Amino acid sequence: MPGATYYLPRDLHPMAWWVWALGLATAASRTTNPWLLGLILAVAGFVVVARRGEAPWALAFRMYLYLGAVVVGFRVFFRLVFGGGEGATIVLRLPEIPLPEWAAGIRLLGDVSAESLLGGFYDGLRLATMVVCLGAANALANPKRLLKSMPPALYEVGTAVVVALSVFPQLAESVVRVRRARRLRGGDGRRFHALRAIVIPVLADALDRSLRLAASMDSRGYGRAGTVDPRRRLATGALMIAGLLGVCVGVYATLDGSTPRVLAAPMLVLGVVVGLVGFRAAGARVRRTRYRPGRWHLPEVLVALSGLTVAAALVATSAVDPTDLTPSLMVLSWPALSWTPLAGVLLGALPAVLAPPPEPALGRVPA
Amino acid sequence: MTTRFAALAAVTALVTVASAAPAWAIDQGKGLPGFCPGPTGVTVVVDFQRLGGITIVRCYPNADPGTGLDALKGAGFQIAGAARWGEGFVCRIENRPSAVETLPIAGHEDYREGCVNTPPATGYWSYWHASNGCAWTYSQWGVKNRQFVQGGFEGWSFSLNATTTSNPQPRVAPVRPGTAGQPCAEAAEPPPNSDNPAERQPEPAAAAPVPGATAQPGVRSDGGNAAPGQPGTNVPGTAVPDAPVQAGDAPGGALPPPRPRTASAAPDPAANIAFTGGEDRPDVNRVLEDQSGADGAAPWFAAGAVLMLAAATAYLGVRRRRAGER
Repeated sequence: MPGATYYLPRDLHPMAWWVWALGLATAASRTTNPWLLGLILAVAGFVVVARRGEAPWALAFRMYLYLGAVVVGFRVFFRLVFGGGEGATIVLRLPEIPLPEWAAGIRLLGDVSAESLLGGFYDGLRLATMVVCLGAANALANPKRLLKSMPPALYEVGTAVVVALSVFPQLAESVVRVRRARRLRGGDGRRFHALRAIVIPVLADALDRSLRLAASMDSRGYGRAGTVDPRRRLATGALMIAGLLGVCVGVYATLDGSTPRVLAAPMLVLGVVVGLVGFRAAGARVRRTRYRPGRWHLPEVLVALSGLTVAAALVATSAVDPTDLTPSLMVLSWPALSWTPLAGVLLGALPAVLAPPPEPALGRVPA
Repeated sequence: MTTRFAALAAVTALVTVASAAPAWAIDQGKGLPGFCPGPTGVTVVVDFQRLGGITIVRCYPNADPGTGLDALKGAGFQIAGAARWGEGFVCRIENRPSAVETLPIAGHEDYREGCVNTPPATGYWSYWHASNGCAWTYSQWGVKNRQFVQGGFEGWSFSLNATTTSNPQPRVAPVRPGTAGQPCAEAAEPPPNSDNPAERQPEPAAAAPVPGATAQPGVRSDGGNAAPGQPGTNVPGTAVPDAPVQAGDAPGGALPPPRPRTASAAPDPAANIAFTGGEDRPDVNRVLEDQSGADGAAPWFAAGAVLMLAAATAYLGVRRRRAGER
């Protein structure tokens, strides 16, 4: 009976969380409306807190929040420094620093208007929201299981991508561990000395860990060249890299409304085709088996669908009512909002109830 | 984490609380309807051309020098600049072309002006100027770089699928009522001599007001019989317009050399199309709300949802921490 087992605690397929998070990030990239961005942030935070496990990577989410705050701060700061005079509502008068002739078009300090500060804030908030969405995926999805579910042909690329994606959470976890160790030893972690006492162990820890990971991957046959002709390996590698580049350009052009349409669908299709040829060539020579492969059940489908719905809602409305999604700052006013994108973003919160809870840590009773 | 999250949401809400000044399509508090009555101030003509809509003529009655942008905004027009360049590149006047309006520009028949990037050269607001009684001239300067001429005219004319030589000039002759037939005293306007987008036009020599100009109430021809906004009723070009270059267009790209001006025929006010002072234009904010399907309640709902999600997040976080301590 599927109903009884639906909510049994288990870790979801990592791809489902990634699709959900990328859907939210896509939605965020389509708008600068602070209402929608704030809502996307709230939705991502809620789902993370409701469904993250006890694993170290799950605790790194707050680091992404800090990173997002830094992004917003920098955007606003740059508007302050490099000419924030666009607009009528001057909120701050700073002395303008005269620049030589060759730096024409650049302005240092000077009058700062509320419009330009808000413009910087909206822009920064959009980027910060996308960063936090990626953080949510990293907090919810197990990077090691993500690597396991890669298609065989993608192992080389996939390993690099997974290692790159999990560097930040690993570092965050190192920071948490080193700080805890320092506290246990009685250090209060507040003096400047603490910086040196944390940074060096963290870097050493990260280095040790990568060496350990490399050794363990080596012993499991990763990076095995096999007995394939080097020329053929080069050809398949080139095909796959070219295909992935094509896919990247195509996806970017599809998501970014202002890129020429020639780069969108045709490039995407071309990239996929080239990539698939590379996949076939590479997959033919590598044979890997999987131990307990991750499966897609109903919750995975629902989680992925909810993320895709959010993206679809914003992509669709940006074609219909662009005024809402990029609020004009020429006249200071409350950004307007219509119901469709709002309802679409709220659907992104469904995984908090639709996904089964994560497996509890060992020796702990589920709360 | 949860409290910080709530704080972030609160900051989001706070910062967006901006002073909401009601923006009317025509800010009746600024400028005067119709032509400027005398040689003080500048008359602004906005011709929607093929976008459709009755041409608007308003006066910016300010005796101080100012830029073309000052004149346009000071006359009460509601404008939007491209998000990428700001008000240096005017992409909408009176919410036209609006975000929901399709512009049949060549090669992209269902183009919609999002006002995010530079508008295409086949569909943009062209910027003109004229001294009283002279022919319209395509501006060599960006709107923020040019000083308007006292007693003169500023023209905005939507250029759709036009080339550099067929840009339609505003279809209202730059002649103040009561000064018809007076000789044209063109204020010399040297073209820009650098690529610097911040270069300002040198302060114009004190514009000599046309002698004998008597202050006379603007005579408007509201509800004239000429079909407003009829496509293809361009007055034959009397001034040779130049390439469509406005401030902010292709920063770093060289400005084209100025073209020699041909002798122009005297403008004829009798050929004016119908125009108004813009008194009956609807509120742009309301139009925007209608066009976007925005609802006044939606932001409140969004704020409520953010707060509820933040509260739920905080609750779950606290419960989880308790469970972890057990």
